[in-house]
Amino acid sequence: MSKTVDLTIDGKKVTVNEGVTIVDAAEKAGVHIPNLCYLKGMKGIGACRMCLVEVEGGRGPITACTSKVKEGMNITTDSEKVLEMRNFVLDLILSMHPLDCMTCTKAGVCNLQKYAYDNGIKESSFTRKDFGYPIDSANPFIKRDPDYCILCGKCVRACKEQGTNVLDFMGRGVGSKVVTAQDKPLQESDCTFCGSCIDACPVNSLLEADRWRKGREWEYVKTASTCLSCGNGCSIVVSSKDDSVVKINSAGDYGTVEKYICAQGRFGFDALTSDLRINAPMKRVGKKLEETTWEDALSIVAEHLKKSGKNASIISTANILNEDASALASLASSAIKTKNIDTTVSLYSGDEAMNLSASADLDSADVIVVAGLATSQYTRVLPALDAAIQKRVARGAKLVVIDDVKALASIAKSLVTKGAKSTKELDAALAKVKTSDESDATADMIAAAASPVIFCSPSLFGAANNLSLVSNVSVVAVPYEANARGVVLSGLTAGAKSYSDIASGKNDVLYVVGEPPIKKADAKFLIVQTPYLSDLAKQADVILPAASYLESSGTIVNYLGKVKKVAKAASPAGDAKQHKDIFADIAKAMKATLKDAKVDVKKSLKTKAKVKVNAFEKVKGLDVNPVDLNDKINKSVINSSRLLWLKETEMALASK
Amino acid sequence: MTEDNKEKIMTMKDVQAKAEEKKCAAQQALVFVEEFLSEPMCGRCFPCSFGCYEANIRLKKIVAGNASDEDVERLRRIGTNMLEASMCKKGKDTAAFILDKIAAEDFAGHISGECSKRECGSFSSYLIIPEKCTICGLCLDACKDHAITGEKRKPYLSGYQPMEIAQKRCTKCGECIKVCPDAAIVLITSKEMAGTVK
Repeated sequence: MSKTVDLTIDGKKVTVNEGVTIVDAAEKAGVHIPNLCYLKGMKGIGACRMCLVEVEGGRGPITACTSKVKEGMNITTDSEKVLEMRNFVLDLILSMHPLDCMTCTKAGVCNLQKYAYDNGIKESSFTRKDFGYPIDSANPFIKRDPDYCILCGKCVRACKEQGTNVLDFMGRGVGSKVVTAQDKPLQESDCTFCGSCIDACPVNSLLEADRWRKGREWEYVKTASTCLSCGNGCSIVVSSKDDSVVKINSAGDYGTVEKYICAQGRFGFDALTSDLRINAPMKRVGKKLEETTWEDALSIVAEHLKKSGKNASIISTANILNEDASALASLASSAIKTKNIDTTVSLYSGDEAMNLSASADLDSADVIVVAGLATSQYTRVLPALDAAIQKRVARGAKLVVIDDVKALASIAKSLVTKGAKSTKELDAALAKVKTSDESDATADMIAAAASPVIFCSPSLFGAANNLSLVSNVSVVAVPYEANARGVVLSGLTAGAKSYSDIASGKNDVLYVVGEPPIKKADAKFLIVQTPYLSDLAKQADVILPAASYLESSGTIVNYLGKVKKVAKAASPAGDAKQHKDIFADIAKAMKATLKDAKVDVKKSLKTKAKVKVNAFEKVKGLDVNPVDLNDKINKSVINSSRLLWLKETEMALASK
Repeated sequence: MTEDNKEKIMTMKDVQAKAEEKKCAAQQALVFVEEFLSEPMCGRCFPCSFGCYEANIRLKKIVAGNASDEDVERLRRIGTNMLEASMCKKGKDTAAFILDKIAAEDFAGHISGECSKRECGSFSSYLIIPEKCTICGLCLDACKDHAITGEKRKPYLSGYQPMEIAQKRCTKCGECIKVCPDAAIVLITSKEMAGTVK
């Protein structure tokens, strides 16, 4: 528990932790100190001087974003002097800002507009300055309009801190401009189009490229949800208008390093209304797939599943919700009565890794060990984790990257030789292991850290988890799909036949949920349940149109062991239904009822299993290529949205 | 790298020295702000970087003779706020200099159309005193703008008229005054001029 500080802000007493900035302290006291360049969680730069406040006994006004609270401070945030300075800065900014709030896309969420309103400034009393910079709209994701820029540097700092380092200032003072290296268009820089800069921009200088006249900010219905594109399961805010998704932003505030979503999560929603979307159930008539009614499709599916019974096989992806997963498990066991069921989790993780993986708080991690994970924002493999680690490192955490299971063993050995309490079993496992300078250094870091975390690939989880016996490290196995942990916890685990047996073998009736990475399936009768017309769906005998995660509601368990809500932001397209509802309908058509979920996910997360010693070995058979897997699972979304442009551009630039 | 080639970084002292080469308060303020913007300003805080830019615009107006009291008020507001809100001493010094010059005696005259220090081109004119002009033609050669009319005297010929300055062409560069050996060219304020030009 850190020390607390008592202070008074505008007459309100407030107690905050030591080391907090005055802006954050005021927020806690319910006082908003205006600021344009402050990014919560990052060091303040005190550039805009909007947050100047007066401290009793102080020499003069100080910037609240760069000043830490001190015991007994008495702060005034709205004295006449301070208000005049704030007005002055706003007045200056407004003199070089297009005053077109009536048509500006960011109206309603623009900080400049808000402060101008609060201070009653209609227009600038200074000379109008118009720079007439060209707009960069050469990509379908981010539109950059430097004329609106107020030079607060938020985008530059957000981009720098997460390690992408694309944006920076060119020039100095009024004439400076936020540019990429050599002022090239974004796609020719190192930009990953994650859009962190869009979230950071307080004005209309950076925004989604397709927002012009797609509704005003106050018309949007904002839904807090979770993205299921990859293993990170990031928090998102979906803005929808007239029941269709208009934009997606990263949720949460800048205080947390998890505030990040990648291009896939931010711009993939185009696919919802694309040509690849399946709007109605389809059945195969001769060589063609034809639309049919739910009733018809369900009766065909029920009939085949009933006939096949225990010979039927089911495979599912792990980006379905907990509720869907338990409904599917129940459908398999109680209605279809088959044990041939498995999910894509088997490609990269054992059940144990998913069940025993620790939960961790990224924001307090002070030593981060990354083992066998190729996190990258460029290949979009766990990009949010990559960004979060980069941010933690920027904020002072230490990072160790290892690739080999032997390194884990030598770190454990170093910990033991440096005096950590060990067990007989572990000593036996470490008998022949040698330490190295690197392992000694890492062991020192872990031993000295308050909350060290190891992020490992699930295949290394067993080995990495041994380290939690000899230190206070939290070991997190990071899967490549958003709800891998939830799916396993919900009881959707491999039965008689494993995923690879089903995917590569001969099947009687095969029921595929989602878009697993299978090009061709061998089955007498193929049922595919997916939102998009995937390669596999084209071969299906019956297609059941499912709702995308943006049209479903339920929960997932993310890689850090947090239960996250997924909320419905728009109605499913056409006749599509959420997975669990389809499972219930099939059960009904089979004259069976689904049992309620046997497993309480929240409860099972709370139970701590005792760590047992595992061999320092990599689990075999889990060597799926994460880039490839990610591409295949999201293939339809990528091919039917703006992301295709990005993919093609990346390929074109790579072949240069 | 030799000493001569080393790029000299302009300090605030250099800026001030450069400004004080001028005599008129408005000119001093303008030169100070222009020089400050050109190099020492870091541009890290808004009041200073945006404020100086605006002050530069207003001072140019004042020096050009098309300013009003409102411009002086704006300058005063910029100075006052910059002095308090700027991040570092450089900005505060610039603000103090501006405020100091606004308060100077000869500053206000610029609004009513006079530069008592006879330094601002828009408020003063060059004039050739015919009685003193020896028609040597040196000013004729020196004037880049062909604003001086007349013919250089040839020996043993008579009927020459003294040189004259065509006011509309004159850009007030002051080159002629430097070369005149007879001190026949003078700088007078616009008000004095009004009495002389027919």
